[in-house]
Amino acid sequence: MKKNDSLWQRLCALDEVSWENPLDQQLTAATTDEPDSELRRRAPLEFAIAEAQHEEMRETLYTEEQLKVSTLHSWVGRKGKKWLDAAYRLTAILFCLVIVTFLMTTVVQLPPFGAVDNPTNNEVAQRYLEKGLEETGAVNMVAGMILDYRAFDTFGESTVLFVAACSVLLLLKLGEHSDDEPSPAMLEAEWDDRHHEPKNDAILQMAARILVPIILLFGMYVVLAGHLGPGGGFSGGAVMGAGLILYLNAFGFQKTGRFFTYKTFRWVTFLALMTYALLKSYSFFCGANHLESGIPLGTPGAILSSGLILPLNICVGMIVMCTMYAFYTLFRKGGM
Amino acid sequence: MGEWILFGISALLLVTGLFLMLSAVIGQYRFQYVLNRMHAASMGDSMGLGLVLLSLCVGNADGWLIAKYLLVVLFVWLTSPTAGHLIARLELATDSQYQDEMEMIEK
Repeated sequence: MKKNDSLWQRLCALDEVSWENPLDQQLTAATTDEPDSELRRRAPLEFAIAEAQHEEMRETLYTEEQLKVSTLHSWVGRKGKKWLDAAYRLTAILFCLVIVTFLMTTVVQLPPFGAVDNPTNNEVAQRYLEKGLEETGAVNMVAGMILDYRAFDTFGESTVLFVAACSVLLLLKLGEHSDDEPSPAMLEAEWDDRHHEPKNDAILQMAARILVPIILLFGMYVVLAGHLGPGGGFSGGAVMGAGLILYLNAFGFQKTGRFFTYKTFRWVTFLALMTYALLKSYSFFCGANHLESGIPLGTPGAILSSGLILPLNICVGMIVMCTMYAFYTLFRKGGM
Repeated sequence: MGEWILFGISALLLVTGLFLMLSAVIGQYRFQYVLNRMHAASMGDSMGLGLVLLSLCVGNADGWLIAKYLLVVLFVWLTSPTAGHLIARLELATDSQYQDEMEMIEK
C-alpha cells in the first residue's frame, strides 16, 4: 500500500500536476471508516479478500496511469523536443537571413570608401582640419574636437558615467550609510569578501608594488598629454582606475580606505563635474555673445597650451577613474 | 650577408614563437583540467611572446624600439604569471575535489 502510494505521488510529481484520483479517495475512505485492526479482528477472511481486490484494482490502475504518463513523457521528450528544435532552428535561420539581406542591400548602396564626394567629407571636417589647430591650440585634433568644438557632448558623456555610478550605487549599496556604525548587511558583505578575497598573497603584492606606481604614472601621463598626442581623459582615467583596482586586490580594503572612501568618491566626482560645467559654461557664454574669453591658447605642442582642454581632460579623467573604481567596489561588496 | 643572417635568425625566432603560440591555443582546447590548461596558456604567454618580440628586436636596429619591446616583455612576464598564480589559487580554494586530478605533496 505504502509503496503504491508513493509511486502515485511520484507519478503526480513527475507530471507536475497534482490531480486527485477519485478511486483512490474512495478506497481510502472505505478503509479508514473503521480501523484496520478492528475490521481484521471481526472478519479476517472477508477483510483479506477485500484487501486483495483493492490491491489488484490499484495495481491495474497504476500501471495504466503509469503507461499514459510515460507515453506522454516520451512524446514530449522525443518528438515534441524534436519539433521544437526544428522550429527554433528554422526561425533562427530565417531571422538571420532577413537581417543579412537588409544589411547587404545597405552595404551595396554605400558610397565607395575614401571617395571625394562622400557625405562625410563636408565643410565640418574641412573646418576642423584647416582651422582646428589655430582655434583650439591642440595638436591632437581629436582632443580639440571632443573637448572644444563638441565639449557639450563630452559633458553629457561624463554625466552619463556619473548617473550610471549613481544607479549602481542605488542598486548595490548595502544598508543605511553611516560612517561610524556599519549595518549588519555591510558586515555580512565584509565577512563574505574577506572569506573569498586572496588574503595577503605575497606574489600579487610584490607585482602590485612594482606595477601600481607605473600604471598610475602612465595614466596621469595619458590624461595630461591628451592634447598633444593619443590619449585623453577617458583612456587615462580607465588606466588609473585599473591601477587602483589592482592595488585594492593586492592590499585589501583597509589600505585603500585610507585615501579613497565613499566620501572621496562623492567629492571628487562632484567637483570634477562642477568644474567642467562652470568652465565650459563660461566659454559657451563668451562664444555665444561674441566676447573674448580671455583664455590663452599658448603655443601648440607645449604642455600648458590649448586653453581649456587640459583642465577638462583632468576632470574627465577623474570622473572615469572614480566611476571604474566605484563600480568594482560596489559589485564586490556593496560599498567602498 | 650580415643582413641576411640577421633576417634568418629573426625569421627562425618568429616562426618558433608562433609555433609555441599555436600549441598554447591547441592545448587550451585539448586539456581537460584547469591547471593543465593554464600550463598550456602560460607557454604562449611567456616563451611564445618572448621569442616573437626577440625576433623583432633582432630584426630592428632602432634602439628605442628595442627598448620598448623589452619593456613589453618585462610587463607581460610580470603580470601573466601573477594572474596565473591567482587562478591556480582560486582553483585550489574553490574546488574541493582537486585531489582527483593531482597529487599533493604535503610538507
